[in-house]
Amino acid sequence: MRLEIKGLTKRFGSFTANDQIDLVIEPGEIHCLLGENGAGKSTLMNMLYGLLTPTEGEILLDGAPTDFQGPGDALAAGIGMVHQHFMLVPVFTVAENVMLGHEKTRGAGILNREAARKQVRELSERYQLHVDPDALIEDIPVGVQQRVEIIKALAGNAKILILDEPTAVLTPQEIDELMGIMRELKAQGTSIIFITHKLREVKAVGDKITVIRRGKVVGTAPPTASEAELAEMMVGRSVELAVSKENKIGGDAVLRASNITVVDPRGHLVVKDVSFEVRGGEVLGIAGVQGNGQTELIKSLLGLVKPDAGKIELEGKDISRHGPRQSLAEGIGYVPEDRSHDGYVGSFSVRENLVLDLYRTKEFSAGPALKLDAITANAKHRIEEFDIRTETPETPVASLSGGNQQKVVIAREFSRPLKVLIASQPTRGVDVGSIEFIHKRIIRERDQGTAVLIVSTELDEIYALSDRIAVMYDGRIVATVSPDTPREQLGLLMAGATPEVSA
Amino acid sequence: MAMSPTPEAIVPDTEPAAKRDVSSWLPTVRDTLLAIALALTVGAFLVIVSDEQVIDAFKDLIAYPGSFLIYAGDIVKYSAEAVWDAYSALVRGAVGSGPALQRTLERSAPLICAGLGVAIAFRAGLFNIGAQGQALVGALAAGYVGFTYDLPAGIHLVAAIAAGLAAGAFWGGLVGWLKATSGAHEVITTIMLNNVARFVVLYFLAKEAFQKHNSDNLITPPPMDSATFPTVGGLHLGIPLAVVAAGAVWWILDRSKLGFELRAVGANPDASRTAGMSTTKVYIMVMAIAGLLSGLAACMTVLGLHQSVTDQVVGSVGFDAITVALLGRATPLGTVLAGLLFGALSAGGLGMQASAGVPPELIQVIQALIVLFVAAPALVRNFGRIKRRRTKKSSVETEGAVA
Amino acid sequence: MKKTARIAAVGVIAALALTACGDREDDKKGDDTKSSSAPTDVSSSPTDALDQYPDFKACMVSDSGGFDDKSFNQTSHDGLTNAVADYGVQSAEVESNDPSQFADNIQSMVDEGCNSITTVGFLLADDTIASATENPDIDYSIVDFAYFDDKGNNTAPANLKGLTFNTGQPSFLAGYLAAAKTQSGVVGTFGGLNIPTVTIFMDGFAQGVDYYNEENGTDVAVLGWDREKKDGSFTEDFESTTKGQNVAEELISQGADIIFPVAGPAGLGGLQAAKDNGAWGIWVDTDGCVSASEYCDILLTSVMKGMDVAVEQGIADAAAGTFSNEPYSGTLENGGVDLAPFGPNADIDDDLSATIDDLKQQIIDGTIEVGAP
Repeated sequence: MRLEIKGLTKRFGSFTANDQIDLVIEPGEIHCLLGENGAGKSTLMNMLYGLLTPTEGEILLDGAPTDFQGPGDALAAGIGMVHQHFMLVPVFTVAENVMLGHEKTRGAGILNREAARKQVRELSERYQLHVDPDALIEDIPVGVQQRVEIIKALAGNAKILILDEPTAVLTPQEIDELMGIMRELKAQGTSIIFITHKLREVKAVGDKITVIRRGKVVGTAPPTASEAELAEMMVGRSVELAVSKENKIGGDAVLRASNITVVDPRGHLVVKDVSFEVRGGEVLGIAGVQGNGQTELIKSLLGLVKPDAGKIELEGKDISRHGPRQSLAEGIGYVPEDRSHDGYVGSFSVRENLVLDLYRTKEFSAGPALKLDAITANAKHRIEEFDIRTETPETPVASLSGGNQQKVVIAREFSRPLKVLIASQPTRGVDVGSIEFIHKRIIRERDQGTAVLIVSTELDEIYALSDRIAVMYDGRIVATVSPDTPREQLGLLMAGATPEVSA
Repeated sequence: MAMSPTPEAIVPDTEPAAKRDVSSWLPTVRDTLLAIALALTVGAFLVIVSDEQVIDAFKDLIAYPGSFLIYAGDIVKYSAEAVWDAYSALVRGAVGSGPALQRTLERSAPLICAGLGVAIAFRAGLFNIGAQGQALVGALAAGYVGFTYDLPAGIHLVAAIAAGLAAGAFWGGLVGWLKATSGAHEVITTIMLNNVARFVVLYFLAKEAFQKHNSDNLITPPPMDSATFPTVGGLHLGIPLAVVAAGAVWWILDRSKLGFELRAVGANPDASRTAGMSTTKVYIMVMAIAGLLSGLAACMTVLGLHQSVTDQVVGSVGFDAITVALLGRATPLGTVLAGLLFGALSAGGLGMQASAGVPPELIQVIQALIVLFVAAPALVRNFGRIKRRRTKKSSVETEGAVA
Repeated sequence: MKKTARIAAVGVIAALALTACGDREDDKKGDDTKSSSAPTDVSSSPTDALDQYPDFKACMVSDSGGFDDKSFNQTSHDGLTNAVADYGVQSAEVESNDPSQFADNIQSMVDEGCNSITTVGFLLADDTIASATENPDIDYSIVDFAYFDDKGNNTAPANLKGLTFNTGQPSFLAGYLAAAKTQSGVVGTFGGLNIPTVTIFMDGFAQGVDYYNEENGTDVAVLGWDREKKDGSFTEDFESTTKGQNVAEELISQGADIIFPVAGPAGLGGLQAAKDNGAWGIWVDTDGCVSASEYCDILLTSVMKGMDVAVEQGIADAAAGTFSNEPYSGTLENGGVDLAPFGPNADIDDDLSATIDDLKQQIIDGTIEVGAP
């Protein structure tokens, strides 16, 4: 099926999210849609999937205009979508999830589970998806859940499959597997629209690349284009992808964690006897697939979670019992993993967020009163220094782009003398231009002698920043390796292979 | 938090941008005025359908359809008269004379104070349903000091106020403490503590020391003159105190470290905790302040109006305060304006009752409708937009025709 | 009241109204013999009611219960309505939402040019006397309150009359009746709040039971009121029928087969509990067979508190210029309080009926003193 988009435009009030987009997807092609966060990729896909109605323009399927009133219409027309966040019922089996919404019955309302099972098995075999129809969703890994989503779309006879940032939640191995599946789908005639901002993946799997910036198509490129070229198209200027830095051996240990154990509120042991140290002037990268205890580990370092056992020392001083207020005051900088949840107050202005953990210092307050002038001056200064793109310092942070929101958090944490910087997912959901900026600032902080701890699920980021890499799996640090360890080996470690086996 | 409607869902957080940009206030002001106008319109309709002359004329109209014009004219005339009588009495009763104005202000003062208590808690993300109980214990404490101890004028007043504030603050702080230490939801605890407050007051009212001499009724003596607010030009000095309280709340919210913390905790407790703020401290402090303001509301009544304390002495001020804070969008200025409006409606309602014979329930209906329309801004805006949308639709149709 | 028929009692009340107020049509059905017991002699004997005092404005302020409280505000308000019907006076009224409004509301009636203002309930006592002192030209009455000092002297100004009701007297009769009728040997009562206007009923009731026990050597027990401790069962609320029902069911579960609820509308829950459990009820303030007729089947009788009559009388006096500040106390003697006719199913035999009448006379004579423990 051939999909053609002509002059598609979507306006929200005075804001134009998509401006005269033209796009052609040929049958059996993997078409990559590349763009920064907020470039308008999701708006475009939501119109394709019937979730939004275009303001202008049309969508043609095999030359015939469409008028989707909802996802149902899009599905019926052969367009399926796998969302970034899965839409699966955890306590149902794979087959049950696939049949959900269009259940087959044997009359009298009795569910025909067998038919669904059979369908899952067939699709699984045909596209080599390796999915067990009777497994419960909550029991299977994220990568397999994603394949269930793909089966759901295929079961609906999708000829065009939209994959929205499908690799964000996957391990490197799973990403490779997904790419294999995409090639298989393509081979059997399914078109794929692959939305991503990761250049490597685009080059690996794409047939054609369309780059979107600020709601407009800025160009197309073949997969042979270099990453630098693609990045430049995305951002609109040339971008330095790899931060130039020399690997360093750090000085004395500034932060030392010994035998940290954390039990979460549900009683699960999530951090198991973890020990490491971060030296002044080095970056220790903690690599690992999401959900292997990194979140709880760094929360315990700041004092947000009290470790159930173990000891945390800052320059030899025991800070295990400190709360966040004391830890911050001691010189720990903290960039939380989920900025909108823990990093800023969305309804607060940029000005206020820039002092969210500094308002109580002498610089910004006197007795019970805030020094508004100092806070405003600080905001002007930081906005300029960190190139935060905001209309005014009074703009609520929630209305900034992801990259600028992260810059607000980074600017705040970097605006005081630090002994330790703990940054989790410092560039998640951040555009390429901002990634470059944030990485440079982190390296600069390191070069000033700060002990830096980076937690990231992105191997690119780990490699770009780390002087040493610790891999976390199932609540433990399974290995600490040097940054010249090959990608594949690191990937295996992240997937739980023990170092001995992988060696 | 996810379990209950959070205040921020109801109170749009327009504050930061609004401070700099007057135009961003306009939609809020317009919606509020529209809500008031709509409520008065519905009120007028109720006045009309409950007016006997109108009803009679309508019956005649049904009985003698031949004289349609005559009776229809009567209906219009009587309707207009009834509405005019009611609403002119409302305006006269609220602002039509010195005493009317005084009454409006006297009734506004406690609403403003308790409304501020609800508003400041809203801003910290807490739904304070407990202003009623906080005011009640405040009234008992202020009243007790006021009628028991014979202190020099001035000192006596200050002592009585301090007692009222302290009792209210204690009652409110209890809620914050329960929430901070055990996670007990403030909606539940405040509602329960309202009941507890009433029974505590009834318990004390049954004691000899709290009763009038020679009486077994559950009513205390009124406070001594030395413990009541002095009066200037008919107005007791508690009223300016309400304005001072509003200013203080504004300062706390906008200019103080505590206000920064409480707004942050209200908007995003997780980020606040990560930034090293103590939610425990904020919850206790803000509920204590809320209770203190409710206690001040009680002082307005007991010490401002020389009231004997009974279990009903504060009326329903604690619940009206919620609607006042809601109407005032949980801002100090908004709360003052909403308090004045409700005070005026209350005083005007008395005028309507006394001289136009309109039942007092009408005022309560109007107040409730205002809040309903404010809480459903989409509904109100749709009233305003129906016309526009129609024109837009027709223009689209024209376009289509051209194409 | 030699007969137990309802009509006779209506006659008594009506007769009272007749003497006091003049010429109501339905009064004529009444029994004129009781007219001498009327509390105040109105010298003028008007004939044309409707425009007797067209320029007189009678006004009323409720307490926070409002005029539709099915309780003392409403009964008092009936007095105002009757005055309008009987004397052609003008009227105005204000309902209070809370105590802080009392003073304002009374003042608003002053501003409306009222000639007489009746306030309802002891909660308004302070504000009423303050307004009365300020406006000596207006006559004030207050329901359920009288101004006395330590020595029992009346401290009200010349234009303020307290209207109180010795409801203990008819409650005594009700208690005696209940003790005579109980099968289980246990009767129960409960109140709204522990305040004198409520407990006076309960105390009189208990005293009546005690008297029955003394006279007949029986051992009928009263639940819900302890005369020594002056405490008992209360709903702490005059509104919640649920609470009334709960308290009554508790009493019934302890064996009570006659329930005497003194809790305003909350007491209706008590009657419901009695009905559900095959017990009897005795209603208060008004004749329950009229005001709560759905429970008439299970009512033995009602203790009537003639607030409407007293209020109307106060207005009439003020209009006629014969107003005095002498506190009015409704008694069995002046008919301000009384026992309602027995319920249709009460099945009171003539002996008991005669005994009740006899006791009533003894109370009027002072042979039996109600109220002293």
